[in-house]
Amino acid sequence: MNQTDVSPGSTANVNLRQVGKNKPRNDAPTKVYGKAIYAGDFYMEGMLFAKVLHSDRASANIRGVDVSAARALAGVHSVLTAADLTACNSVMTDLPGQTGGGTKDTTQPILAADRVRFHGEPIALIAAETYELAQQALDLIVVDYEDTDGVYDPFDSQKPGAPIVYSDDNIVSAYKIRKGDTEKGFAEADYVLENTFSSQYQEQAFMEPEAAVAWVDEHEILNIRSSTQVVEHFRAVANALGIPHNKVHLQAPYIGGGFGGKEVMTIEVWLALLAMDTKRPVKLIQTRENSFLSHGPRHPFTFTHKTGVTKDGKITAMKIDITSDAGAYAKLSPYILLYATVGATGPYRVDNLWVDSTSAATNNLPACAFRGFGTMQANTACEAQMEELARLIGMDSLELRRKNFIQPGDPNTTGQIIRSSVWSDQCATQALAALGEQPGNSDHLVYGHGLACYQQSYGRIRWMKDTSESWVGLEMDGTLIVRCAVTDIGAGQMSALAQIAGEILGVPMDEVTVYFGDGHVNPLAGTSTASRALYMSGKATELAARAVRDNLLECMARHFEVSPGELDLADSKVFVLDNPERCMSTKEMVKVCAAEGVHRQNLAIFKAPPSEGLDPETGQGEVFPDFTYGAHAAQVSVDIDTGEVTVIKSVGAHDVGQAINLRAVEGQIEGSALMGQGFALSEELILEKGVLKNGSFSEYLMPTSEDVPEIQSIVLESRSGLGPFGSKGIGEPVFAPVAASIVNAVAAAIGTRIFDLPLTPEKVLAAITAKNES
Amino acid sequence: MLPSFDLYQPQSLGDALQALAKSDEMQPLAGATNLVPDLRGKRETCRSFISLKALDDLRYINREGDRVTVGACTTISDILRDSAMQTDAPALYAAAEIFAGTMVRNAATIGGNICCGSPSADTVPALLTLGAEVTLSSASGERTVPLDEFYVDYKKSVKRADELLTSVSWSIPAVNSVNLFYKLARRKGDAITVTGVAVMIAAQDGVCCSARIALGSVGPTVFRARAAEDLLTGKALDEDLIEQAARTAADQCAPIDDIRASAGYRLQTAFSLTRRLLTQAWKQLA
Ligand SMILES: Cc1cc2nc3c(=O)[nH]c(=O)nc-3n(C[C@H](O)[C@H](O)[C@H](O)COP(=O)(O)OP(=O)(O)OC[C@H]3O[C@@H](n4cnc5c(N)ncnc54)[C@H](O)[C@@H]3O)c2cc1C
Repeated sequence: MNQTDVSPGSTANVNLRQVGKNKPRNDAPTKVYGKAIYAGDFYMEGMLFAKVLHSDRASANIRGVDVSAARALAGVHSVLTAADLTACNSVMTDLPGQTGGGTKDTTQPILAADRVRFHGEPIALIAAETYELAQQALDLIVVDYEDTDGVYDPFDSQKPGAPIVYSDDNIVSAYKIRKGDTEKGFAEADYVLENTFSSQYQEQAFMEPEAAVAWVDEHEILNIRSSTQVVEHFRAVANALGIPHNKVHLQAPYIGGGFGGKEVMTIEVWLALLAMDTKRPVKLIQTRENSFLSHGPRHPFTFTHKTGVTKDGKITAMKIDITSDAGAYAKLSPYILLYATVGATGPYRVDNLWVDSTSAATNNLPACAFRGFGTMQANTACEAQMEELARLIGMDSLELRRKNFIQPGDPNTTGQIIRSSVWSDQCATQALAALGEQPGNSDHLVYGHGLACYQQSYGRIRWMKDTSESWVGLEMDGTLIVRCAVTDIGAGQMSALAQIAGEILGVPMDEVTVYFGDGHVNPLAGTSTASRALYMSGKATELAARAVRDNLLECMARHFEVSPGELDLADSKVFVLDNPERCMSTKEMVKVCAAEGVHRQNLAIFKAPPSEGLDPETGQGEVFPDFTYGAHAAQVSVDIDTGEVTVIKSVGAHDVGQAINLRAVEGQIEGSALMGQGFALSEELILEKGVLKNGSFSEYLMPTSEDVPEIQSIVLESRSGLGPFGSKGIGEPVFAPVAASIVNAVAAAIGTRIFDLPLTPEKVLAAITAKNES
Repeated sequence: MLPSFDLYQPQSLGDALQALAKSDEMQPLAGATNLVPDLRGKRETCRSFISLKALDDLRYINREGDRVTVGACTTISDILRDSAMQTDAPALYAAAEIFAGTMVRNAATIGGNICCGSPSADTVPALLTLGAEVTLSSASGERTVPLDEFYVDYKKSVKRADELLTSVSWSIPAVNSVNLFYKLARRKGDAITVTGVAVMIAAQDGVCCSARIALGSVGPTVFRARAAEDLLTGKALDEDLIEQAARTAADQCAPIDDIRASAGYRLQTAFSLTRRLLTQAWKQLA
């Protein structure tokens, strides 16, 4: 039973007719009827099928790769190894499309040459007439490995003499924040509490594994249709292959989920190489088993929090040490570490702050972007520490939070002043209230309520100078087109643009056509990552639609002999606000405007507020455009005989600024309730000396339909965000507090805390046993 | 990737048994919910299968007197659709309810669950407490074996390669009995059992007149905890006796460490769940 409440404030919608309403998404019918075409659905005449040989060990030298038998197999058209890529065997995995300063070396070999650094590193690419033949060829390849000493722990990898995986010291990235006077702050504290929290690898497990088709067309343009969050990787593909940017056409059809796992390039370059080598279209759909090895999962993090607090609950100082395991290559680890650093204090104001953070390389899986992007891990640790502080000083934990919530006008960790509304308190209060009474304990079940708040950015790091463009135009028959290369990764990115343009130009959203996902025929919109797609592309679409509206209304004002402000557009009509009888159909309006040469289209660019980066010594500066705030609360039961945890009720309450599509907001809250539950309780990639032991859905344990609790969504609307109509980004934010709330609920139920995630029944039982013995 | 394999689809039980008799390589394939993951995961080397899909005469639930007989190709969902199973085999019904998820339950057969030989097969502890027998058929005849004597070691049973398991049967539990099952796993749906416990306790005049305890996932096969059963039989149960029986049952376990749980955890929960189910059963009988 799922339920959504919208705060009363928001139902007093002023003029909005479509935005914020409970409208089915435009992409729903095609998906429900199974008509939507995904990357793996494309078929082309003469198409070949690809397979990739992934390393089965984590640290080894490659003495040789014998592909002769594979090449000799009839029906095999190409077998490529590093030896074939002498001119170009390097691909960049930095954030795409950025104009700001890059980080350390984020290149990675396309195929491993003389050394493999992680389990799954690609060694050879094969294209053959069928998948079966490609697999047979793959099985014929002989790799002569010489195992080498690896390093599998980010603390070990920083020690002198550790095997070197990255650069000359294994340090992928480091930050510090020095703010106020922590010594003084700790001196003022009545209590000082220190705890270490750690969390695990989590797999994105999107429904659609990596899939793409690549071909070189009659104009010598390399085309790639891929399941990617980022069509702007066409540049990275071109750079890797040494061809001009305008000779690579990367398109994204509907995407079956990304969660960050399709933010960095996955299989695109491999297919490009095979298509260029064979001169035929080549397709690859990764098997689920290989998908586990084809993108970076969530980083394992360790946080040590030392917090000073007065007896009346005011935090006086925090010192936080952060370490993340980058795995074998840098990928986006530096940025993810930055997010964790900025997010280390959660949604609280801390004036005396000292943070040291490091991301270190190991021979583990290279970790990368995943919903929450470091902030979520940081928040999970911080919210656990808040509960422990409350317990220590004997104060209600919401009360303690209230005393420390950051407020509009306050500086955050990096000294950036918070400009938007902060409704942490309202969200926390409503989420907790929605849990209702806590059931009484029975023979073997104990119950607990848990709360977590958060602060999560939306929009990209400001010194990347992010932009998005969108085009809006009215056709001669009054229908509306939006063209915007945003990728639709399943969260309703495309549909939201129809709703926004339709609202502004008075056309029902389901009659708006949106061309998306193809940056070579549509204006570039940037990535569907960083909770930025609606914020940025929505804003660009809003600007373009408003420009068209202005042009039309100026013409119509003359026609109706009123001022433009006295006119409105709705239900495919233009009308005089005071006297709606005076109206004209949009179709007629377009005709009149066309006859007068009025411009009925607009290409708009939206630019996020820029900044110039952080002071390297103090970590002070402006990092993000804005933040979303909210809370999640959970009711759990714990079986004290077995340690099994059952989530009974899960409530998300968030200030989303303005819901554009309420159902899509609910979808995000409900999905994150389960993704966070998995992170808290059961999901974990298990590595033994770098080798993945549970890369399948029978052993990697996401919540199933049987594990779904009652979920409630509470949507608050401050209209204070930077997105269209005052919206904020929500894709990552609504996920940020979920795991922490469940972890806190378990701690409340059993009266003791487990400091490393996930909370498997075995760990929970051990904690209960230890507590009973002490 | 799923490797290619041969699939023969006989239309009658006789044809299926003939085919099995003639071939050393062929293996039965029922719902394929074990076989497909095993083929994909390269744990299964057989490439030639006899599908039991068309053998409708192996898909039935019969009742004759106090005897229930279930055809091998009866699916887990079939069991759940038969509401009388709640009283005819309470632990089996409970096992079916938490078995996999809906999709797998619709395909998975009870015969496949018994024959896969896995110590985590969820119907087996329940069937052992019901005192079930299995019927094995081959081209040369038929024999009935108590399920308790069916397994000889990890994934090894007394079933010959030319035999099919055709049915499983048991007597409906007496009115003065309670039959319970608990599955401990890392999540609620589609999970491999970490510790499975089933009990059947019958009482007469305040005394336990029959006790059966079966444990799953805590040894190479699912097994009956006979020594613990013997402790209880003929006695009025109390906390101490139940505790002692649960300890004795746990002593008989030989669990392993794997990525789902440690041996120690399995032992600890085999004990506490046995104690819990015995306590619950005794309370319900009182
Ligand atoms: C996602 C998922 C979840 C699962 N969850 C559970 C669970 O919760 N509990 C559980 O116990 N199991 C579970 N399983 C395992 C599996 O579903 C069961 O063991 C199922 O009962 C197997 O039956 P089947 O008909 O699919 O067998 P198959 O895969 O067709 O066969 C299994 C084995 O038995 C042999 N066999 C099958 N029928 C016969 C017969 N009549 N005579 C002789 N030999 C035969 C086959 O040759 C094969 O060796 C799960 C599997 C999956 C994929």
